[in-house]
Amino acid sequence: MPQINTIVQLIISGVLVGGIYSLIAMGFVITYRSARVFNLAYGQFAVLGAFLAWTFIGPPGSPRLPLPLAVFLIIVSAVGLGLLVEFLFFRRMIGRPLFASFMLSLGLLALLHGTIMLVWGPESRVLGATVPKGPLFLGKFVLAREYLWSFGLALVATLGFVYLFRRTRIGLAMRAAYDNQVAARCLGVSARLNSQIAWVICILVATIGGVLIATVNGVSIGLSELVLLVLAVVLVGGLDSLVGCVLGGLILAIGSNFTSYYLSQYLVGVESIVSVSLMLLVLLIRPDGLMGIKMIKRV
Amino acid sequence: MDQPADIILAIENLSLGFRGLKALDGVGLSARKGETISVIGPNGAGKTCLINCITGYYRPREGCILYRGRNIIGMKPHQIARLGIGRTFQDPTTFPHMKGLDILMAGRYLHTRTSLLEGLLFFGRSRAEELASRQRVEEIVAFARIEEVRKVPVLAMTYGQRKQVEIARVMAMGPGLVLLDEPMSGLDEFMKEVVNELILDMRQRNITIILIEHDMRAVMELSDRVVVLDHGKKIAEGTPTEIMRDEQVAEAYLGGLSYEREAA
Amino acid sequence: MRRRGKSRTDFVRDLAIIGSGRHWLAVALALSLLALLPFVLRWTHNLNWLTFLNFTLLTVIAVLGLNITTGMAGQLSLGHAAFVLAGGYALGVFTVKLGWPFWGALPVATLLSGIAGFLVGIPALRLRGFYVAVTTLAFFYIIQFVVRNIEITGGIHGLIGIPYPYVGGLAIKSDIRWYFLLLVFCVLCILASVNLTRSRLGRAFLAIRDNEDAAANLGISVGLAKLRAFFIGALFGGLAGALWASYVSVVKLDQFTIWDSIWYLGMMVIGGAGSTAGTVLGVIALRLTSQVLHSIGSSGLIPLSSNLTIYMTYAIFGIAIILFISFRPFGLIAMWQKLKANYKRWPFGT
Repeated sequence: MPQINTIVQLIISGVLVGGIYSLIAMGFVITYRSARVFNLAYGQFAVLGAFLAWTFIGPPGSPRLPLPLAVFLIIVSAVGLGLLVEFLFFRRMIGRPLFASFMLSLGLLALLHGTIMLVWGPESRVLGATVPKGPLFLGKFVLAREYLWSFGLALVATLGFVYLFRRTRIGLAMRAAYDNQVAARCLGVSARLNSQIAWVICILVATIGGVLIATVNGVSIGLSELVLLVLAVVLVGGLDSLVGCVLGGLILAIGSNFTSYYLSQYLVGVESIVSVSLMLLVLLIRPDGLMGIKMIKRV
Repeated sequence: MDQPADIILAIENLSLGFRGLKALDGVGLSARKGETISVIGPNGAGKTCLINCITGYYRPREGCILYRGRNIIGMKPHQIARLGIGRTFQDPTTFPHMKGLDILMAGRYLHTRTSLLEGLLFFGRSRAEELASRQRVEEIVAFARIEEVRKVPVLAMTYGQRKQVEIARVMAMGPGLVLLDEPMSGLDEFMKEVVNELILDMRQRNITIILIEHDMRAVMELSDRVVVLDHGKKIAEGTPTEIMRDEQVAEAYLGGLSYEREAA
Repeated sequence: MRRRGKSRTDFVRDLAIIGSGRHWLAVALALSLLALLPFVLRWTHNLNWLTFLNFTLLTVIAVLGLNITTGMAGQLSLGHAAFVLAGGYALGVFTVKLGWPFWGALPVATLLSGIAGFLVGIPALRLRGFYVAVTTLAFFYIIQFVVRNIEITGGIHGLIGIPYPYVGGLAIKSDIRWYFLLLVFCVLCILASVNLTRSRLGRAFLAIRDNEDAAANLGISVGLAKLRAFFIGALFGGLAGALWASYVSVVKLDQFTIWDSIWYLGMMVIGGAGSTAGTVLGVIALRLTSQVLHSIGSSGLIPLSSNLTIYMTYAIFGIAIILFISFRPFGLIAMWQKLKANYKRWPFGT
């Protein structure tokens, strides 16, 4: 039955893409959970990562730098960028109202957008070899190798971050800071170190995610539409839950796969609307997301 | 239920729980018009929970709360406020960015009727109501001695001023029942005296007051009756002097004191 | 009540927007300067600045709306440009497709936009803070999607040939006539916005912005107040959009993008969120910056392509927002007030 095959195919590729979304969403949640910053510039960081990767690796064909060196440079620049962003912008936001950090991230969004366009211009680019590409036949189903690789890398990174957050002292300190930054300070948690770690992880994840998505879709400023999708993923899952990220990523990727397959010929731009509407629906029914915790209100 | 006609607030068998934790357990209380009832008890005894139940922020598991003979359980906080129940909050930084005058004027919300369109045009009723509200607010400003914070945002006020503004806001609301959540905590002797006078003024105007307070001197001076809560249960009720003599209360609330007495 | 302290009795004057004779003089002077400005510009052959002024006036109206929703009532809105878009499209559809006269279409378009705001506000009833921001963003995309996919809005081509209005037989066609029409609308909107801050509803907005729970205890129905905040904000936005569409005589999807929503927020913050005067200042400041950059780019002094100018504007706006949020969170209006206070105290310093 071809119908069943199509559905299975859509689900499989949905799971693969969903894995990447989940990883990206996790980077967003980490700064929200440790520094209480709702970072709208997040998509732009992913784009920046992709463009940096393109600068080091170059277009397909002859790589500009050997791959290990390029990967090393990408990681170093992401870490550097994380420290820089934390130092220049978000350190001042500790203890400020949420609106301030929200607006700051909007300003950063505009700044990054403008800078990326000034440096690299609006043209879309193809990223050279990072992971093996090409179709992989599994019986009746076709998988893109780059999706599979990206999914695998995303999975490893996700597990790593979950381990960091749940099982290590640093993770504990970050979770404490999420609940109350001032009180966490009194417990000997260094607010500065915490905030630095959070931002480094955030931008590292954004970069990895950006490169993975760019491997599949090419490098362009349009990747920043990611931000909406990531927001949707995060909010469907619940802003304070890492497991929710994974769930949200899978639901949205599979959902938008199906709608774009069955509906996009009738309605222009339906696949981006689907994730948005799904998110609205979840928020209306469960304001704290699928996996979010409902807090007892203290008046 | 047959109750004396002048009972304003009657609470019966009130229970509240959060995921298995019992915050209130079968609490009962009644207040006549013009009475001041103090609720005391150690931290975590459920005093603020009681106020949150009365003002509709928490929904109790069982029991009933009658205000002027009407069950108010299940009503939304703003509906309860419309019946004339005002409260202060323990943390007086309730409206951090609003100026003193704006907060008091906002307290007159229920006494004004201006519609949206009239508000945008500022004509006729809007203007008249604004002036009438301002007249009343100015009286309260003068009485509560908060003239200097008319145009000062709460975050720029001292802690004492914030407490004053918080009580003045409730006074501006012109309520029939006032719930005060630790109005004296964190204040020095002089400020306590000022707050004391504000509460006395409300008493004189026959407003029923439920007062949560740790300052025993204020409790003794201001209240007609005292209710003692411990671990969500009412353990004693009586006049201030009765409560002072009660062994059980000393055990639960003034435990430290009785220990000291033994040591001496 | 016993009287202990002093109460003010001159609060009638306190209530007036324009309190003293000197104040009146300043306002009259400013208004007559604004009235003279277009003639000076025509005289000196600077008509592109008149176009700039007109767009600035339109933006002021739009951002005043955002200031009500976000600045006063605290409901973070990333979708404000959608209301401007809705107002523009509504006017376009009524006049071009249905043949209504301008003055009939304008109030209906404005109201429709307000109703859109009302609908957008519904999810905000149960949500707070960022969640509200994200739902407004979602609605922005949904409104865009609807406009793109229904026939009456002209799809991706938009609507062209939107008629200009007549005022007492006078066709509002030239930039200079539009300037005066927009100036009148703008002044009325500023007045309405100021009136709101001295009415019960405006204070209810401030109260729910600062503390939703405590606001409920003032008897304010928080949900209704939020819906009203979105409604009024969208009314202003819709009015701006409708006038905008008629002024440029076309309405297209890419006229109002998510970036406009961001700039509106930025203008509000730079001017001083919650303050009407601040909002106006903020709009003027950012619009002026972009116009100056544009003039530099097109003058050929520095070799900049028009694209590069645009990207530079993005970056500079971003930096401006970041700097203000970091160092002057209360915006230009607070800086101005401080300056005024220092001037009064002179020569005794700060």
